[in-house]
Amino acid sequence: MIRTLLIALLGLVILGFSSVFVIDESEQAIVTQFGQYKWSATEPGLHFKTPFVQDVHRMERRVIGRDTTPGDYLTLDKKKLVADPVARWRIVDPLLFFKTVQDEVRAARRLDDIVKSEMRSEISSHEFGDIIGNGRSPLMAAVTTRVRDKAREYGIYVVDVRIKRADLPRDVQESVFQRMRAERDREAKRYRSEGAEEAAKIRAKTDKDVTILLAKAYQEAEKLKGEGDGDSTRIYAAAYGKDAEFYTFARTLEAYEKSISPETELVLSTSSELFRYMARPAEAK
Amino acid sequence: MRSRFDDDGSGPNIAEVVAEVSDALRGNVRRFGPLLFAVLAVAVVVTGVYSVGPGEQGVVRRFGREHRTAAPGLHYAIPLVEAVNVVNIEEVRRVEVGFNGETTINEEALMLTGDENIVEVQMVVQYRVADPTRYLFRLRDPERTLHVASEVALRSVVGRTNIDDVMTTGRQQVQAATRELLQALMDDYEGGLEITEVKLDAVDAPDEVKDAFNAVTRAREDKEKLVNEARGYQEDKVPRARGEAQSIVRGAEAYKEQRVLRAQGDADKFEAMLAEYQKAKNVTRQRLYIETMERVLGPIKTKMIIDQGVGGETVPLLPLRAAAAAGAAQAAPVAAREASR
Repeated sequence: MIRTLLIALLGLVILGFSSVFVIDESEQAIVTQFGQYKWSATEPGLHFKTPFVQDVHRMERRVIGRDTTPGDYLTLDKKKLVADPVARWRIVDPLLFFKTVQDEVRAARRLDDIVKSEMRSEISSHEFGDIIGNGRSPLMAAVTTRVRDKAREYGIYVVDVRIKRADLPRDVQESVFQRMRAERDREAKRYRSEGAEEAAKIRAKTDKDVTILLAKAYQEAEKLKGEGDGDSTRIYAAAYGKDAEFYTFARTLEAYEKSISPETELVLSTSSELFRYMARPAEAK
Repeated sequence: MRSRFDDDGSGPNIAEVVAEVSDALRGNVRRFGPLLFAVLAVAVVVTGVYSVGPGEQGVVRRFGREHRTAAPGLHYAIPLVEAVNVVNIEEVRRVEVGFNGETTINEEALMLTGDENIVEVQMVVQYRVADPTRYLFRLRDPERTLHVASEVALRSVVGRTNIDDVMTTGRQQVQAATRELLQALMDDYEGGLEITEVKLDAVDAPDEVKDAFNAVTRAREDKEKLVNEARGYQEDKVPRARGEAQSIVRGAEAYKEQRVLRAQGDADKFEAMLAEYQKAKNVTRQRLYIETMERVLGPIKTKMIIDQGVGGETVPLLPLRAAAAAGAAQAAPVAAREASR
């Protein structure tokens, strides 16, 4: 009696487990019956199905990243570019996805093909510098739109396609390095010559300033000296002009005093004014 | 049980052992079954208890569907029916781009700049989980995605910046723009991550051209040096020249002052003499003459006074040669004798 009950309970549990399934937040599923599609379980939670005859095929609901292998692309200006595109996508139509590609590995392969061909056609219509620089975002937006359109038939929504790396091929890199070296050499030379230029300017200005400074001092000094000479001349003239004859007399006496030194040999005559009394003491004038 | 092994030594009878074990089991299940069940039930119930630490958030799913979130503290989730993820939402995490600890990853670090140069950049991205639901359920492998998106953002920003700007003045802009772009990308992917900081750790020239870049730095220093030397020259010369100019001008001022003062002195002396002279012209004139002559002739060693009469009859012969020689040999007395005659 208990044994029968137990078996019945076990049977019920098995029945329950095969008719109930849980879809997690991160997944979605389709339900098939003998390989035939029945319905999609896109919302997370507890779901029911007919036991034993229906199968659940789970797939990712989250955004999935796909790092496409780097490839060589040719730009509009015929330069080689190594680009490494990455795509983000998610499954929006589980049935379509299941029917067309079945699993992620195959989906990734299809996506790679689409991304590569769209990249190729888009890159070939842009110039290298554009792809590296400001043209990158619009280019990637265009690629994204077209990849998105094409991937729709696989039940995939492509969030975006981006260039992770856009580099030059190895052999071109060396020529870039050479150019960089040349540019830097030029810059270094420019710095040195600019230094010399500026230094020369400063030195020249210094010499000029010094020369002018000294010339101005000379000018002022000569002016002052002239004033001194002029003033003294005026003073002398004013004073001596009062009695020119006496000045001559007094100045002559002074000149005697200054010019005749004790070493001078003098021959004097008694007829001279000074010695006149030597010869004729009685004489009165 | 043990006795049977000892008895005949022919090994255990399998059928008997099985029968005995199942007998014992049946008895035990009847006796301990309820207890065992109770212990099992308690254990299952206890596993439903979970704790959320400070700075963390718990996300509870019931049958796979997000049901509620849990703040820090002790909580309960129904075992088997509910599942819990606890996520730290305050911890700041980091991603390294272009390097891994100490070693540079060339593939990641080398990138093209807007002017088609190649630069080596190392970047650190700091982030935290802002939205646990998205972090857990909307994006597969958010950390890996963030790493890739960081590269995308950094390269597209560096790709439109010139190398000199990336390496020097434009660093801040590169950081800000990268952060902005990276955040936009992560929002697109619904990763639930907030980028708190993007920091350029090292921006360098690649090894292949490092020497050339260093040479530029040296050249810049040389330039500074040249200019500084010239400034030194300027600072040495100009003040000296100013001093010299001052000394020239002051000298001239002194000369002027001296000339005027001396002139005035001379004039004053003359005027004083003139005043006296005018009072008694003749006497003063005579006195001045005689006094002067006295002063002049007094110290003279060689004087010859020739009488008027002698002068008229004889040709005065001056022993100039002898006098000169005597003067030179300090034999002045001869001349003096002659002179006194």
